[in-house]
Amino acid sequence: MNLQTIEKVPLVTLVGPLNSGKTTLFNYLSGKSFKTVNYPGATVEYSISRLLNKFNISANIIDSPGIVSLSANSPDEKISIDALFNHPLYGQPDLLVVTVDSSQLSRHLLLVKQLKSCGFKLIIALTMNDLLIKKKFAISLSKLRIILGCEVVQVDGRTGEGINNLLNTISDQLDKIKLPDGKSEIIQLINNDRHSLLNFYKEIEKIENDVIYEIHSNGNGFDLNAANAQLNVLNPSYEIKTKYTLDSTSLKIDKFLLHPTLGGVFFFLIMAATFTSIFWLADPLMGMVDVFFAFLSSETAALLGSNWFSDFVSSGIISGTGSVLVFLPQILILFLILGLLEDSGYLARGAMIVDKPLSKIGLNGRSFVPMLSGFACAIPAMLAARTIPNRRERILTIFILPLMSCSARLPVYALLIAFLIPSGKSWLGGIILAAIYIFSVTSSIIIASILNKFKHRIIKEEDNSSFIIELPAYRKPKLSFVLTNSYMNAKVYLQKAGPVILAFSIILWFLTYFPNTNPEIDTTGLSEDEIVQVQEVERLSTSYASDLGKLIQPVMTPIGMDWRVGVSLIAAFAAREVFVSSLALIFKVTDNEETFQASMIQSMRQAEIKDTGQKLFTTATITGLIIFFVFALQCLSTVAVSKKETGGWRIPVMQVIIFTSVAYLLTFITVNGLRAVGVN
Amino acid sequence: MKKASELKYGEKVKISEIDFSHPSSQRIIEIGFTPGQEIELINRSLFNDPLAFSVRGSLIAMRKDEADCIKVT
Ligand SMILES: Nc1nc2c(ncn2[C@@H]2O[C@H](COP(=O)(O)OP(=O)(O)OP(=O)(O)O)[C@@H](O)[C@H]2O)c(=O)[nH]1
Ligand SMILES: [Mg+2]
Repeated sequence: MNLQTIEKVPLVTLVGPLNSGKTTLFNYLSGKSFKTVNYPGATVEYSISRLLNKFNISANIIDSPGIVSLSANSPDEKISIDALFNHPLYGQPDLLVVTVDSSQLSRHLLLVKQLKSCGFKLIIALTMNDLLIKKKFAISLSKLRIILGCEVVQVDGRTGEGINNLLNTISDQLDKIKLPDGKSEIIQLINNDRHSLLNFYKEIEKIENDVIYEIHSNGNGFDLNAANAQLNVLNPSYEIKTKYTLDSTSLKIDKFLLHPTLGGVFFFLIMAATFTSIFWLADPLMGMVDVFFAFLSSETAALLGSNWFSDFVSSGIISGTGSVLVFLPQILILFLILGLLEDSGYLARGAMIVDKPLSKIGLNGRSFVPMLSGFACAIPAMLAARTIPNRRERILTIFILPLMSCSARLPVYALLIAFLIPSGKSWLGGIILAAIYIFSVTSSIIIASILNKFKHRIIKEEDNSSFIIELPAYRKPKLSFVLTNSYMNAKVYLQKAGPVILAFSIILWFLTYFPNTNPEIDTTGLSEDEIVQVQEVERLSTSYASDLGKLIQPVMTPIGMDWRVGVSLIAAFAAREVFVSSLALIFKVTDNEETFQASMIQSMRQAEIKDTGQKLFTTATITGLIIFFVFALQCLSTVAVSKKETGGWRIPVMQVIIFTSVAYLLTFITVNGLRAVGVN
Repeated sequence: MKKASELKYGEKVKISEIDFSHPSSQRIIEIGFTPGQEIELINRSLFNDPLAFSVRGSLIAMRKDEADCIKVT
């Protein structure tokens, strides 16, 4: 969207406390699908969009990161609060829509009070009314409207309930602003000393007593009038007591999940289940995709005959991209499981459980969610680290995030694991994958604690370390919601990784096929199949790729591999998945096996290192490769984001040097160590 | 005076004051812990730290040393 169109139409900003439903509402109004999570601090960046045409209001709407109050607790909070008053790109909002969680009215009104005192024009959108009703209370909108002196509407951004009401109110307010004296002056002056905070709260308690009333169920719904009448006779002190009840289901669940000792066990089980199920749940789906690509590849080859074009299409394009797409189910399942976890409300509990251990190594409970989302991708994870108020803890979190096994590594691991496990024992795959995840987390913890020893050199300034977080009520994840989200995530993943994989498949095909397209070989005594195979080996070993590969050979020999793996490892710097497509191109998929993967593994098993005649892929080298992928920082976008988020080149350069050298060193030790003890 | 960090499970108490000298005290007030409010210790995490309190109908977790600045009666 260009800036000109942004300036012409009115600007409506969604503001509100953490986890109050801003993004849910934003998505409904803009038709976008930004991430909504039952965790305080899901949104860390402003986003802008035009209101959907069907709503007939010409305005831009902005989603903002949740804030507790207008006084900042950290530099990042300051940036988002300042942007509320005057966004560097979008300017000052004409109207605020302040989301307020009805079930937490008193805590959430603080921000409303502060915003009003700054002179903002605002509409209050009461969200989560279903939660308040569950507690058997309701809010009198008319009273709240009068007391606060602004419009109040009830909405549910998940279902669209009350949206029309909100839109009409927005439209009315925008019309008023157009009048000559409609605009008011906004001053960023906040009375944030503690005494005025206490005064604000005193006023809020009074408001709350006036507007919240109990509802009585009379069998078929709620009788509000009767409840209203009864309100007058109720003893106010009795009222306060019942009004502040916690969600009873959550209390029961937390008896177990936040139990002082069992809580840790459940935490481990939940994490382990998450990572093992990626492999197990995806397995059947994967088989289907696999058979499809195998069929496609062999049919094309048969159709186009035996020439370079046929090879280009069947190997270069279909095998190359197919070898990675086979693992799309895994990535989809990963997004699905993370989505379920995010929507449930457990994340804040997880953060609470790991706060103590993490703070020992210089991290924070708030590092948990970035680390977990690092399993999808390090880039949004680094942004999520903004919720860590302490700068040193935040930098350290960003530092170790590249070690989390991101979804781009899944295809690589899945292929290598498939090579390791004997056929018919696919249950082992899930366990090995979980072991890799545990290994990568353990390594990141070790590296963090080593770095923590040098923390004063990494970040000089001292800062208060704090962990205060709201534990939201558990919610049954909305399956349709989670499904759409995973679908969108997978789509974005494909759009981002797909072109890179395709481009590199084509480049690699070219490098491995030319210049010696029709190598001369001695065909005496060979069957037709064998002729094709020998030709391919000859073509590859005289190809451009092999010329390039000779340069890397010295680096690969110590870790027991040859240039063919080296070329693939270098290609993986474009995107980690390219490692798989590159192997698929180099170790040609044959038609002998019924699935794509089986055939690829078959030809990998047969590959030998030319000079020594040793098998190239053995338990030792495959394990070595897994170790390499755990540590190596092979993602250029991660480096770029790390530079942006840490404000300089120092951290990303350290990350690249440390992680890549550790990767190589440990691979060397693993391969040679395993060989020394007799594992080949 | 007793601190919120010393509460037992299920013990309901009123906040008498907040120790302003603690760097987290501002956030603690903003998030709803003000004198006169009733709080209750609901959960303790692994290693008994952080602690989760109910305040104003919400459940808030904070570190033990941060809960130290909430004085209760
Ligand atoms: N029960 C209920 N849940 C809702 C409602 N509106 C949103 N939610 C859920 O509340 C959670 C938080 O919603 P978000 O839209 O991510 O909240 P946010 O204000 O953007 O949160 P931050 O970005 O963390 O500040 C999500 O799990 C939503 O599905 C509602 O009206 N009722
Ligand atoms: Mg949000």
